[in-house]
Amino acid sequence: MAGFLQQLVQGLGAGAIYASLALALVLIYQFTGIVNFAQGELAMFSTYIAWQLTAAGLPFWLALVTTLAVSFAGGMLIERVIIRPVEGAPELTLVIVTVGLFIFVNAAAGWIWTFLIKDFPNPFPAGALEAGGISVSFSTLGVLAVVGVVMGLLYVLFRHTKIGLGMRAVATNPESARLVGIRVGWTLALGWGLASTVGAVSGVLVAPLLFLEPNMMGGVLIYAFAAATLGGFDSPMGAVAGGLIVGVAETLAGAYVGFIGSDLKVGVPLVIILGVLLLRPQGLFGRAVVERA
Amino acid sequence: MSNPTETNAAQARTAAPPPPPAPPPAEWWRSARWRWGAAALLAAAACYAPFQLVPFHVFQLTMVLIYAVALLGLNLLVGHAGQISLGHGAFFAVGAYTAAILLEHWALPYPLTLPVAAGAAFLLGLAFGVPAMRLRGLYLALVTLAIAIFLVPLLKRFEDLTGGSMGLTLAKPAPPAWSGLAEDQWLYFLTLAVAVAAFLLCAGLLRSRVGRALHAIRDNEGAAEVMGVRLSVHKTLAFAWSAMFAGTAGCVYTWVIGFVSPDSFTVNLSITLLAGLVVGGLGSLSGPVLGGLFVMFVPGLAQDINDAAPGVIFGLLIIAVMYVAPTGLAGLAGRLIRKIPRKE
Amino acid sequence: MTDLVVEELTAGYGDARVLHGVSLTVGQGEICAILGPNGAGKTTLLRALSGMIRARGTVTLGGADLTGRSPDTLARQGIAHVPEGRGTFMPLTVEENLRLGAYVRRRGADVEADLDRIHTYFPVLKTRLKQAAGSLSGGEQQMLAIGRALMSRPRLLLLDEPSLGLAPLVTRELFRIVQAINAEERTTVVVVEQNAHLALGIAQQAHVLETGRIVLSGTAEEIRADEQVAQSYLGYRV
Repeated sequence: MAGFLQQLVQGLGAGAIYASLALALVLIYQFTGIVNFAQGELAMFSTYIAWQLTAAGLPFWLALVTTLAVSFAGGMLIERVIIRPVEGAPELTLVIVTVGLFIFVNAAAGWIWTFLIKDFPNPFPAGALEAGGISVSFSTLGVLAVVGVVMGLLYVLFRHTKIGLGMRAVATNPESARLVGIRVGWTLALGWGLASTVGAVSGVLVAPLLFLEPNMMGGVLIYAFAAATLGGFDSPMGAVAGGLIVGVAETLAGAYVGFIGSDLKVGVPLVIILGVLLLRPQGLFGRAVVERA
Repeated sequence: MSNPTETNAAQARTAAPPPPPAPPPAEWWRSARWRWGAAALLAAAACYAPFQLVPFHVFQLTMVLIYAVALLGLNLLVGHAGQISLGHGAFFAVGAYTAAILLEHWALPYPLTLPVAAGAAFLLGLAFGVPAMRLRGLYLALVTLAIAIFLVPLLKRFEDLTGGSMGLTLAKPAPPAWSGLAEDQWLYFLTLAVAVAAFLLCAGLLRSRVGRALHAIRDNEGAAEVMGVRLSVHKTLAFAWSAMFAGTAGCVYTWVIGFVSPDSFTVNLSITLLAGLVVGGLGSLSGPVLGGLFVMFVPGLAQDINDAAPGVIFGLLIIAVMYVAPTGLAGLAGRLIRKIPRKE
Repeated sequence: MTDLVVEELTAGYGDARVLHGVSLTVGQGEICAILGPNGAGKTTLLRALSGMIRARGTVTLGGADLTGRSPDTLARQGIAHVPEGRGTFMPLTVEENLRLGAYVRRRGADVEADLDRIHTYFPVLKTRLKQAAGSLSGGEQQMLAIGRALMSRPRLLLLDEPSLGLAPLVTRELFRIVQAINAEERTTVVVVEQNAHLALGIAQQAHVLETGRIVLSGTAEEIRADEQVAQSYLGYRV
């Protein structure tokens, strides 16, 4: 039993990271109807910026804040420069453009920082909290806490601020939003900035667990996709719940299903995506799927 | 610096009476005679080339053809049905491994591996297409990406069958004595034959009802559905066919390289294929060939600058192509040909 | 005193031109009805006025040149457009929809006061504040749309087919409220309507639009009195 709980906690820790990247995906999807295949790579790039700053001697948390600010600006810039020209284009075009962005950002990081792996400092103390026969590492606790805080901040932003209300208006009906005086273009850019910031958090959280290298987020991205599909692409809450479920499912499958083991765990998101598509295409928390024209 | 005689000539031209009405350039380049002529020229060049080139260049040309066959399939899906696959490398790998396993464990004669590999990829495409195509194309992109990522550890796991990380090394098809060809030339002609067959099959497919249905889906799903096109059936079949072409290409790849290993078929291959197709040109028959040239040569050339250069170039080119020339190089070439001034 | 001045407005979609040089003026605090058959360009005229589509010609409101501005700028300049189909933010609550109407305004306290004001016009909305707007009936959604427009304290209110899809009784009630709003707030109103009888009932002046041109203008009484017009354009007998 204790072993099971141990795995569960570990799964939640992994799931929190997937949740944060899934949250970033869902944010952009809600505003623009775009599934951003480059989301993971943008997070990876942000993580490199944080690494560069700490390597330059900045204290971790200061480096983090700077990184988040840079990611926010970067996300807005990408929307303005790269996505704007194809706004309203067919989905095919949009997906291909974000795939192009994926390839470019991945390679750009490799060009700047080489493909050699780097050690990323863990912001949380070593050691673990022992309780009832299971031990929860401070690192896992830290990850859960950070993702919880991000969630809370987003909730406050969307539910209790005017800007958040405006963003939700744009997400539901851009034309009407324009008519009530909202600058839709800037709001979309804001959405990208926000998503990049949330994505950066996931990158910084995952980097100490894996190694920092340009392909670091490739695997995480597919888990985040599974999380967003499971939770519903139009539901931020669903993305978080989906992330946690995917994390737990993957950890348990790896630990208890001998055939799967640690190497085939990456098949779990594929199974989840296919299962959701067959059984409940709108996801657990999503609204019925509506075709975007 | 302007040349006075040129200016005069230009003035003379404008002053001259209008030329007799010639066929519009668009018709001229579309004309059947021109097309057959070009095709014959191309065929002659394709047959002549291996006798003029050094073996390594023949091999490169063979690879271009293999990629072109895979891109032909991808083009069917992306360019004609408007759906995205980020995992065509996986179907390529399925074809390659099917052929390799049949050759290694069952010692099948190599021509027989082709239908089996194509069939396996087709069935796999069908199996994944059914859930993925119930919804918008977006989910196909997700599912295929997940497949591409999953495939590598899967291949490594079943070591007995696939040779694990070490892969399988196989004998290449030997040229029959009557042909008098060297190995590289024989492989080239085998590939050429498969490629030509694939092109004819694909062209036939597109000219049929199926092709019109696919175009209708790509251009307007809603309208197509109202007109009675059964969306999910056509999309799923398009995906399966497209997987079949990729599997065929993979099979020929195994013949030509004589070696398969999981690391040759990472997500990178899938993404490179998509990049090649987008740059080569979506929705045209010549796009896959141009894309094949691109996939074969651009990474190698770019790598001389920096290991990351191919990615940087691919990424920027994809975005640029989507902005300025969504029909890729093939579309650009078409536009240029149409702009060539008429001659008397 | 004239408020809205439109001169030689041409607009369309892509290559298809819909409006061919429309000119009209509306006095401060007046209600102006735009009538005409389907496809005459009535909706296009409103869309051009609120910046939703590009138009050529000049538009001034209270002397300020508004030609070629974007919809969000025009909203800030005091134009509130209730589009055809009402433009409701379906998943958001009724209250959020109303607050979005006040998005362009700065002072929070006034917004609270305005919410109360809207409730006096549309008491039914007050009982639905926390409900998703998409769950409202068609008539309630139309009220919500007008309420949302009023929340911006507009100088010019553009109403596109407010009667569309509503029961006659509901429609009459709606027009009565529009008239009351116009009387109390001195808001200039341009209303596009298929139901000419209703629109002429509250308007001071009217224009009949056909295939993108104004074919007849006058006071509401004049238009109503013109029997030939009534038959050929408005489709009813006097």
